[in-house]
Amino acid sequence: MNRAFRRLLILLVFLCMMGFLLVACNDDGDEEGAENEDTTENTDDGEEGKEEKAESGPQAGGTLTGAMYSAPAGMFNPIFYEEAYEANILSFTHDSLVSQNESLEFIPSLAKEWETNEDQTSLTLKLEEGVTWHDGEEFTAEDVVFTYKSMSDPDYVSAGGIRTAYVLPLLGYTAYSSGETDTFEGVVAEDDYTVTFHFEEPNINPLYYASFPIIPEHIFKDIPVAEMPEAAESRDAGAVIGTGAFKFTEMVEREQYILERHEDYWQGTPYLESIVWKVVAQSVMTGLLESGEVDFIADPNGIPPADFETVQGFGNIEIIEQPDFGYQLLGFKHNHRTSEDVEAGALEPDNWVPNEKLADPKVRQAISYAVNREGLVEGLLYGRGQPINSPIATQFWAYDDAAATNYNYDPEKAGSMLDELGYVDANGDGFREDPEGNEWVLNLDYPTGNELREKTAPLLKQQLEEAGISVNMRQPKEMTAYVEELTNDNTDWDLYLLGWSLGSADPDPSGLWATKAAYNFSRWNNPESEELMQKALKAPEAFEQDYRAEVYSEWQTVFSEDLPALLLYAQNSLWAYNKRLQGVEPLPYTMYQDAHLWWVNDAN
Amino acid sequence: MHKYIIRRILVFIPMLIMLSIIVFALAKAAPGDPFTGKILDPTVDPEVFNEQREALGLNDPIPVQYFRWATSMAKGDFGESMYYKGRDVQSLISERIVNTVYLGLFALVITLVVAIPIGIYSAKNPYSPLDYSATTFGFLGLAIPNFFFGLIAIYVFAIKLGWFPAQGTISNIHITGFSEFLNRIHHMVLPGITLGLAGTATYMRYMRSEVLDVLGSDYIRTAKAKGMNDRNVLYKHTLRNAIIPIITLMGFEFGALLSGAIITEQVFSYPGLGTLFINSITNRDYPVIMSITLLLGVAILIGNLLADIFYSIVDPRIRYD
Repeated sequence: MNRAFRRLLILLVFLCMMGFLLVACNDDGDEEGAENEDTTENTDDGEEGKEEKAESGPQAGGTLTGAMYSAPAGMFNPIFYEEAYEANILSFTHDSLVSQNESLEFIPSLAKEWETNEDQTSLTLKLEEGVTWHDGEEFTAEDVVFTYKSMSDPDYVSAGGIRTAYVLPLLGYTAYSSGETDTFEGVVAEDDYTVTFHFEEPNINPLYYASFPIIPEHIFKDIPVAEMPEAAESRDAGAVIGTGAFKFTEMVEREQYILERHEDYWQGTPYLESIVWKVVAQSVMTGLLESGEVDFIADPNGIPPADFETVQGFGNIEIIEQPDFGYQLLGFKHNHRTSEDVEAGALEPDNWVPNEKLADPKVRQAISYAVNREGLVEGLLYGRGQPINSPIATQFWAYDDAAATNYNYDPEKAGSMLDELGYVDANGDGFREDPEGNEWVLNLDYPTGNELREKTAPLLKQQLEEAGISVNMRQPKEMTAYVEELTNDNTDWDLYLLGWSLGSADPDPSGLWATKAAYNFSRWNNPESEELMQKALKAPEAFEQDYRAEVYSEWQTVFSEDLPALLLYAQNSLWAYNKRLQGVEPLPYTMYQDAHLWWVNDAN
Repeated sequence: MHKYIIRRILVFIPMLIMLSIIVFALAKAAPGDPFTGKILDPTVDPEVFNEQREALGLNDPIPVQYFRWATSMAKGDFGESMYYKGRDVQSLISERIVNTVYLGLFALVITLVVAIPIGIYSAKNPYSPLDYSATTFGFLGLAIPNFFFGLIAIYVFAIKLGWFPAQGTISNIHITGFSEFLNRIHHMVLPGITLGLAGTATYMRYMRSEVLDVLGSDYIRTAKAKGMNDRNVLYKHTLRNAIIPIITLMGFEFGALLSGAIITEQVFSYPGLGTLFINSITNRDYPVIMSITLLLGVAILIGNLLADIFYSIVDPRIRYD
C-alpha cells in the first residue's frame, strides 16, 4: 500500500510535468484559422496537363493516393465540419450552388444561372436538372432550403455549428434562429429547380452566401439538428451522401479515407476509379512522394518550403506554386483594454487605454523600416513567398500595391526617424530611450505551432536591436494559451506575431480590422479606416466592384500609414503531385477542382 | 492473499478520486478552453463559441463542472468529447486502445526476447566481445532518440528496401481473418522495434548487473559447492533472484503500455492513445483528458498490484497477509 502510494505520487508528478511541458511547448502546426470551403485556386500548370492530354486521351480507371499530415476529426457533414482536413474530403463529395474561377468570380456549379433584384435583396438561382445524390435520389431546390434552414435552426450553434456567417444576413434569420417563428423565409423554393435567397438588407456579395455545400434533405429530414453531429449520416463512410464526383465509401479511421467515383455524377462520370487519402507524417512525406506511394499533397499544408528543391529534383513530381490568401504579421498593440472590460468581455473603444510606447504612428513606421522582410522570406521561406504591404491578398481585385507604403528594409531611415522623434540613446546603454529619457523596451510575444513563425521572433528581435530598439522577447506560448492572452489584453503586450489563413470569397477586411471586431487584436481605433470599410460595403454604390476597389485602395493607404500591424509575408502554397496524374487545373484557392476530369496515364 | 488483493483494490478508489481532482484542477488551470484555439477563423463569429461554451457548461464554476463530470463518470458515462463533435469518449478511446496495446505488447515481447538472453550471456561472460558489443548497443539504444531511429528505419526499410510499410496499422479495410493479423504484425515491425529499442537497452543492462550481482552471492557459492551444475545454478537459483527488479520495471511498463508512445506513433502515423492524449491536451478536450488519465492511473495501479503478486510467486520469502 505504501509503496503503491509512493508510485502513484510519482505518476502524479510525472503527469503534472508532462501537462506543463505540453502546455509550454506543444507543436501542432494546424492551429491557425481553419481553411474554409470557400478558399482558393490557381493556374500555372494547366497547360502542361493539356499538352499531355493531346498525346493520348484521358483513360478511365486507376487509383490516386493523396496525403494529409493530420487525420480529420471525423465530421463529414459540411454544415458541422470545422477543419481543413475534412474540407479536403468534402470538396470531392459535396457541391455548392456556385463556385469560383481563377479570377475569383463566382461561376455556375449546381446552379446554372441566377439573377438579383434591383436592390440586391434577393437572389434567384436556376438549378441544374437531373443531378442525383450518391444514393440515386434527385437533387432539388428543397435540398437547398433544407441546408440553409438547418444552419439557421435554433439548435444549430449549441449542437456545435459555426457557419452562421452564411445565414446571418438572410431575411428573418434572427426570428427563426431564436425560435420565435417556425417559418423560414431566408431561402425559398419557387419550384423544384428554382430557389430564391432573401436578404434582410441589400447585399453586395449575394453569391458568397449561396456558395455553401448542399446537404440532402431526404437523408437528414428525420434527424433533429441537435442530433445531426452524432448521426451516422454525418460521420460514417458509406452513409455520407453528397452530389460530388466522388462518394466517401470506406475508411480506416485516422489512417485512410477512400473515395469512389460517383457513376452518375452530373458533370459526367469521373475518370478515376478511386481516390485514397492517407494520413502521413510530415517527416516521411517527401520520401513517399519520391517512391510513388503518395501521389499528391496539397491543402492545407503542401510541402514545406525547405523541401521544395528536394522535391523538385525528384523528376516525377509536379509542383504548383502560388501565393496563399493568408499572411503573417507583426502586430502593434495600439490600445489595451481595461481589466473590467476584459472581465465583462466588452469591446468598448471609448474605454481603451492607449499604449504609450507605440502611440506615435511614426514610431511604428520606423520599426517597420527596421524589419528586413525580404531577408525573412529568403532565409525562412527559401524565397517561396513574398513580403506584402496590405492585408488584402494580392490575388484579389481589391489589392492595390501602389496604395500601400512599402516598408523596404532601411535601418538607417529607421534610425534617423527615431532620432528625429527624440528616441535616442541618452544613457549610453546601446538602446534608445523615449523622448522623456525613460527606458523604452518593447515586449514581443509569439505563439508556438508554426515553425517558421517561431524562428521569426528572434530574427525580429535582432533586427530591431540593430536599430537600437530594445526588445524583450518573451517565452513563446502554446497557441490556446497565446490566443487567450491576446484576447484578454489588459496586459503589457506591445508587439505580437500572428498568422491568418483567409478565404477567397471576398476581400472585405472588416472581420479582422474593424475597431470592434474581436479579431482586431491590435485594438486599432481609426475613424478614417472605419468609415472606409463601411463605405466599401454600402449599397447600392458597392454593387459596383470598381467602386469598392477604389475605396479599398484608399483604405490600404490608411492601413499602411497607421500600421495596426506590419505585414511580414505571404507564404506560397506548394502543392505537389505525381506526373502520372493528368488534367489538374488548379485555381488560386485549391487544387481540388474538377476532379472528375482527373485521370492517370497508367490506368491500364 | 485474497484479502490482500481486495484490500489493495479498495484502496484504488480514493487514489483515483484524488488523481481525478488533481488532474481536473490542472487541466482547468491551463489557459484557454476547447474553443480558444479555434477562434482564429475570421469567417466565424466568436459569439458562436460563447454560445457553445454555455451549452457545454464551461461557464459554470469549476467545482460544479467537476461534480457533473464525476457523477456521470460514476454512472459509467465517460461523457462526450468537446473537440470531436458528437463522439463519446468511450468510442474514441476504444478505437485507439487496441492499436496501442498491440503495439506495446509487441514492443515488450521484442524487448524481453532480446534483452534477457543477452543480459544473462553478458553477465556469465563479462568483458567478452559480445558483452562489450551488447554494452555499446545498449548505450546507443538509450542515446538515439526514438523519432530519429524511426525516421532512419522508415527511410531504409520502408522507402529504400520496401520490406515493411512506412505508415499506419493496416493496408486496407478488406483484409480480414488471419491475413489481417499478419498484415497488422507487418505494420507493427518498424514502430515496434523503434519503441522497444530504449527498453531493450535498459532491460539488458539491468539483467546483466542483477545476474552478475547474484552470481557473486554466498548462496550461489554454496550451490556450486554442493556440486550443482552451472545450468541448474543459473536457472534455479540465479534467475529467480535476478528477475525481481525486472518485474518491478514491468509493473511500470504496464502503465506505459497504455499511455502509448507519442513520438513513435506520430512518426509512423500510428493512431494510438498517445496521440489522442496529446491532442486532447492541446485542444483542452477535458472529458478525454480525464478519461485517459484515469485509465492510466488504473493501469499503473494494476501493474503494480500484479508486480507485487508476482514477487510472492518468484520469491517465496515475500508473503502478503
